[in-house]
Amino acid sequence: MTDLEAWRARATAWCESMVAEFGKAARKGLSVEEDLALGRRYQRAKFDAGFAGINWPTEYGGQGLGHIEKISFEAEEMKHGFPNVYFGISLGMPVPVLMQFGSDRAFVKERVVKALKGEEIWCQLFSEPSGGTDLAGLRTRAEPDGNGWKINGQKVWTSWAQYSDYGVIVVRTDPTVPKHKGLTYFWVDMKAPGVTVRPIRLAGGDSHVNEVFFDDVKIGDDHRMSPVGGGFAVAMTTLMIERYVATDSAGFGPHLDLFVELAKEVKLNGRPAIEDGRIRQQIARNHAMRAGLDSINMRARLMMQAGMTPGPEGSLNKLIAVRSRQKLSELALDLKGTGAFAFDEHASPKDDWASSWINAPTGRIAGGSDETLLNTIAERILGLPQDHRPDKGIPFNQIPA
Amino acid sequence: MSILYDEGQQAIATESRRALEARVSKDDLLPLLDARGQYHAGFWTMAKEQGWTALALPEAFGGLALGLVELGLIAHQAGRTLSGAPFLTSSFGAAKAIELYGSEDQKARWLPGLASGQTIGAIAFASGPDALPAKPSVTWRAGQVTGTVPGVSGGLFADVAIILAQDGGTPALLVVDLAGVERRAVDSFDNSRCIADLLFADASAEALVTADAAFAAALHILALQAVVTAHEQTGGAEALMEIARDYAVTRKAFGQPIGAFQSIKHRIAELYGLVELARANAIHAAAREGKDDFITAAAAARLSATEAYDTAARDCVQIHGGIGVTWEIGLHLHMRRARTLALEQGSSFFWEDVLVDRLAGVSA
Repeated sequence: MTDLEAWRARATAWCESMVAEFGKAARKGLSVEEDLALGRRYQRAKFDAGFAGINWPTEYGGQGLGHIEKISFEAEEMKHGFPNVYFGISLGMPVPVLMQFGSDRAFVKERVVKALKGEEIWCQLFSEPSGGTDLAGLRTRAEPDGNGWKINGQKVWTSWAQYSDYGVIVVRTDPTVPKHKGLTYFWVDMKAPGVTVRPIRLAGGDSHVNEVFFDDVKIGDDHRMSPVGGGFAVAMTTLMIERYVATDSAGFGPHLDLFVELAKEVKLNGRPAIEDGRIRQQIARNHAMRAGLDSINMRARLMMQAGMTPGPEGSLNKLIAVRSRQKLSELALDLKGTGAFAFDEHASPKDDWASSWINAPTGRIAGGSDETLLNTIAERILGLPQDHRPDKGIPFNQIPA
Repeated sequence: MSILYDEGQQAIATESRRALEARVSKDDLLPLLDARGQYHAGFWTMAKEQGWTALALPEAFGGLALGLVELGLIAHQAGRTLSGAPFLTSSFGAAKAIELYGSEDQKARWLPGLASGQTIGAIAFASGPDALPAKPSVTWRAGQVTGTVPGVSGGLFADVAIILAQDGGTPALLVVDLAGVERRAVDSFDNSRCIADLLFADASAEALVTADAAFAAALHILALQAVVTAHEQTGGAEALMEIARDYAVTRKAFGQPIGAFQSIKHRIAELYGLVELARANAIHAAAREGKDDFITAAAAARLSATEAYDTAARDCVQIHGGIGVTWEIGLHLHMRRARTLALEQGSSFFWEDVLVDRLAGVSA
């Protein structure tokens, strides 16, 4: 057994040993607050067992291992529906960026370890009402204030802000230069005076995203994590960090096996639906598509193991998997007919077709919309030109509103 | 388990690409469309010289004892250049049938010639929409076959064919010497495939597999060929994606490259997705040869590759506008080849059924 196989076996065994306390059955019927409390205990158990911060440096409480060990653990963890969703953003983006760019290292270390233990949560304050895809068009501003800064404006779609202790934020510090050049990156205390968090209820019924208002929020210059005007580059490093996360060819919806089972149970025109050509074609097409994504993901892992950088085709997973999950979920509801009306708002999108369907649009928009991902593929991978951008090179305060 | 190509495999890809790009051009291929019964002789000569015909066959019979992964690499490059002869796949399929199911005598008789390329093989299972007919139209009695197999790729020049026949309802997989067998050339939209109806009239045939096992054996041969073809289709789709990209970067309209319009750039980005899925599935399937899930992997590879190549052919022409539909630019060569390869080795309907039967646990 290789070291990696041994690692994976240990991860498998540990995850299985956690099912009784933290698995789907244990979470059933809990309020969000109760589930979050359970999640904090789960995160602590992960930390104690050496599965938190797997690819982070040991001096920050991590395990000092590689991306491949992290992804292997995540693939095991994903099978069980543990309450880890509250820490996904926190540990995925803001905390690694803090670790890389935070100036007060003692403070950074304390925050990182508490975040790894699930004691503190960080959010990422990027999108605004005026634009999410067009990040550099943001309007929240920070003005010099004594030795520090004063923030005014509004962020939106901020995941888990209502439970967050801290956040990282990109704001405009200079409106007189072109939009990418006037941004600066800071961290903020979410409990500071002037910060107001208001949850937004989404179509599926849950409220994990928020509006966040900043009214004369004062921060010291030691909160700054980029050069003044250099915030966009730090925001972009997030994309590199995200490259090494476990992917799911089911688009974080139900596995195709569940669809096949449904098609065997349901009858169409008096015959099992699995014998119906329309259903068979969809099963075959979805299987081929998911198998392709699985092979791409596997190849990326093998490349990482061999010390190589995975190819850009890994960026296809979210685009292809989530939108096809949306259609397959519609089809599953079609198969159930009027039997599909019964709806449980708290069911998991991983194993409930209605939940998967109603929440799928969020997946196609958050973290890069389908259209943005297609642009990225076209421009970064294939070398096609950028769209026409009338605001290019124009000082931000002269762009027509 | 997927694989990463090793250095030797990467060298095969590089070398075959170099050779094919130097020696196969659109100018050679266009005239073949107007001629019935001609294939790209230069390609076939090269396939023999480079040892591509011998690649995946055993050393004992003059082969190089490499496998589906390596042959797939060649097929991918052949697909990129629309390389002209269908025998790379059909001779391989025929040779594998004899290697896997034939007697020592049969192997000694046919494999050395198939490995050197002196002998050309064909696979003749399909009848119209049936890739593997449950009741083959050819009858086999007392060592002789009678009946017609329509639309056999490479059939016009094949020396030996592997066919499905029946003896009073009992199926059999047979090897038939085609010397003296009548062939009726089919004028097709992709004439260099050298498609012919094979008309058997008391032709001598020898059994490879009899009874129901004949179907499983035939499916296995079809799956091996499908994986080679999936690589070829992926290569074609990849080339079209690049052609579309290059055109979109240079062609201007309304004062900018047309590739700056999202309707164009997104179309090409979608092609990238289809090509990468097809590539991943093809490589995976090639690496699964000999494993329990080989047929499933081959079916997935076949479905993604067909979708990728057909879509790329459609969209690449569309992106070119008027110039795309001219004879001279030759994009129709890819349109034709995409459809031909979609029909050879079983249509998408066939592979969808094969796949779903396995996913649903209907068949082993």
